[in-house]
Amino acid sequence: MVVSPSFKTTSLFKQMMAEYHERGVAAKEKGIPVAWVTATFPVEIIYAAGLFPYYPENFGARIAAKKVADRISAAAEEKGYFPDLCAYARCGIGNAFSVERPAGEVLKPDVVFCSNAQCGSLQKWFEAAGRYYQVPFFLIDTPLIENTPTTLIKRYIVEQLHELLDFLELYTGNTFNFSRLAEVISLSNEACRLWNEILNMAALKPAPFGYFDACYHLAPIVAWRGTKWAVDYYKELKKELEERLDNNVYVISDERYKLYFDHIPVWPRLRWFSNLLMERKALAVASQYTHSWAWRFDLNRPLESLVKNYTEVFINRGYEYRLQQKIILMKEFKVDGFILFSNRSCKPKALGLYDKYQIISDRTGLPGVIFEADMSDERYFDEEYIKKLFAEFFDRLEHNSN
Amino acid sequence: MPARKHAKKIYEHFNKIVADPVLQIKRLKKTGSFRIIGWVPTDVPEELIHAAGALPIGIVALERQAVSLSTPHMQVWSCSLMRCALGMALEGSFDLLNGLIIPVICDTTRMVTGIWKQVKPYAFMDNFLLPKQVDRPSAKDYLIGEMGRLKARLEQFMDRTITASELCASIRLYNHNRSVMRKLFSLHTEHPELLSNRNMYNIIKSSMLMPKELHTNMIAELWQELEKKVDDNKSAGKKCHVRLLLSGKVWEPPVIMDIFDGLDIVSAGDDFCTGYRYIANDVPETGEPLRALAERQFNRLPIAAFAGKSGDRAKSIIKMVEETHAHGVLFVHLKYCEPENFDYPMLRDDLSAYGIPNCRIETEIDSLPGENYFEQIKAFIDSIGGVV
Ligand code: SF4
Ligand code: SF4
Repeated sequence: MVVSPSFKTTSLFKQMMAEYHERGVAAKEKGIPVAWVTATFPVEIIYAAGLFPYYPENFGARIAAKKVADRISAAAEEKGYFPDLCAYARCGIGNAFSVERPAGEVLKPDVVFCSNAQCGSLQKWFEAAGRYYQVPFFLIDTPLIENTPTTLIKRYIVEQLHELLDFLELYTGNTFNFSRLAEVISLSNEACRLWNEILNMAALKPAPFGYFDACYHLAPIVAWRGTKWAVDYYKELKKELEERLDNNVYVISDERYKLYFDHIPVWPRLRWFSNLLMERKALAVASQYTHSWAWRFDLNRPLESLVKNYTEVFINRGYEYRLQQKIILMKEFKVDGFILFSNRSCKPKALGLYDKYQIISDRTGLPGVIFEADMSDERYFDEEYIKKLFAEFFDRLEHNSN
Repeated sequence: MPARKHAKKIYEHFNKIVADPVLQIKRLKKTGSFRIIGWVPTDVPEELIHAAGALPIGIVALERQAVSLSTPHMQVWSCSLMRCALGMALEGSFDLLNGLIIPVICDTTRMVTGIWKQVKPYAFMDNFLLPKQVDRPSAKDYLIGEMGRLKARLEQFMDRTITASELCASIRLYNHNRSVMRKLFSLHTEHPELLSNRNMYNIIKSSMLMPKELHTNMIAELWQELEKKVDDNKSAGKKCHVRLLLSGKVWEPPVIMDIFDGLDIVSAGDDFCTGYRYIANDVPETGEPLRALAERQFNRLPIAAFAGKSGDRAKSIIKMVEETHAHGVLFVHLKYCEPENFDYPMLRDDLSAYGIPNCRIETEIDSLPGENYFEQIKAFIDSIGGVV
């Protein structure tokens, strides 16, 4: 699935993804433990401890993008899991029970690490996985940062990182290697920097790269952050984007509108949405979702810096902070309108959006639209309703710009 | 006055409090110039609020018609417990509250505070951030710190300090109230003909809606009456009841209790935030009081909110089944309650593997009372042999 005119990097992406999986399988064979981790877990520590991290959330997105979430979810639903749970969790659990493998094999965990900074669903899902696969489950509990981060919370998380290091030393039988941690963090920094620079290219008008492209090219920053792989991949992607700029190749050459998209995409409808916007010469250019991985770590204070980045991530923040961040992104990317996605799977992102829609409209004067669907499960996708909603939104957008 | 009649009067009093929480808040406001601070279930340390000189009130008695009022602000695929609470706030039901504490125990409670602050702010609002991992030392240190944070905020709001001896006194008051309710609960499980499910749970719920001193006194009165009846009843042939253990977030909607009473089912225990779990354990009365409050938190019956405890939760339910000689377990789950929905398949399988019959009903605060629940519950008790 390619959103913009075909990227050369796309074939590199496919090849590297396949190799990543093979490396995981090989690691397992060599006795290197496969560690499940969540997207906002300080994975640098896991790499430094010599484990092979694996992201079931990415697997969930892959299942969704392949439009088979409902089938895999059905296997979980048959076991008594409910269709109103997060679809990543349903698919992750469903995959364990399902006989079909439309999105390939999941790497089975030897140990499960979870941070609940994103949501409580991951905590429940990963705990269930720990029980199902009968492997240890380790949670980094990340209390909500409503306004400014408190010393109490920071201290709690630093203490938990020390507990994590103790756990890993016991688990691997090796002393934790802090110089390896520094190397991994440097690689993360480099990948995050490149990712940020790539995302910023969407601010150009016309832009060579948009939000839907970012969703496609997101997996490496999530799954390979902390490795040379991620750095190499984003160097290639950035190079290609620079070439495009030199050759005046854009997503929409006569781009009219820039839009903010909140938050995660509807994975099985990435192209559909991209086309829907493109028909009206509109490009989605920014989102809190894709910007989540634009981290910067301080090598002089590695643990504190991991705590800072992974706990102060926007999804673990209070109402007003998140609202302000959205508006800041809208301003930075000079958008003409905004789209809010009330994602059934994801209460920590969706709840509150109804009022935020009004507040953003009032504070920015921008036209916006809010729609209901599920990020993975097309059973909750009503094409006609969304088309109608967006047609009306585009009219307002047009009216506004005239 | 004959004993039975007097007991009935006391039950009616509790019932009135639970049936009209808004009127109850108004009544309370009239009795003094104290501040009232509401708390959303569950696991908010009420003792701290009390020690600060305010009256803690649980947002536990619900008015189902208020659910839909929250629809412009909250997705209909959120649990009806929070939608109802927010709906009631929007309706003005809690306008007399001076403050509100919302514990973050799931993604819905985590998100509802922001919405609530936006659409219906009170003078004092707080997110109580309980630790979700409970097995490592860091959790205890953190929770004590979090209790300290809440204490400091309450002190600031109430413009006074909470001394250790004041907090200890509140702890004793709450412990005493819990212990008298436990005594009543065991009487209820032995003599449901004297203390029905509905009355027992009204007593627990009303304790969250009135001053504990008063509540404890009313229980003492009730106890005197019931003790006499127990003696009288000893000679009479006892009706056989099916004993069920209950599990879920809250005992809602209350019509299920009436169905139980009608079918001669007795709740032998539960892990509901508005049920036995609320009274099951006390705060240690020795040592530093904040540490003691944290101690109680970690010893409470496991629920879905906390990690590392779901396995324990199955063990805890199985233990309760054995101790109470329950014939089976009924899961009462609110639709869209994610933590319970995640726990359910594992709990079901663990109980079944242990040979404990179990059944799940899905409820909503605003679902129509009734027949459905009746049919499901009846079918379940028939399947385990009916009245034994
Ligand atoms: S989509 Fe939302 S609920 Fe699901 S795992 Fe991600 S953050 Fe959690
Ligand atoms: S009923 Fe469930 S989803 Fe609702 S607030 Fe309670 S724990 Fe959260």
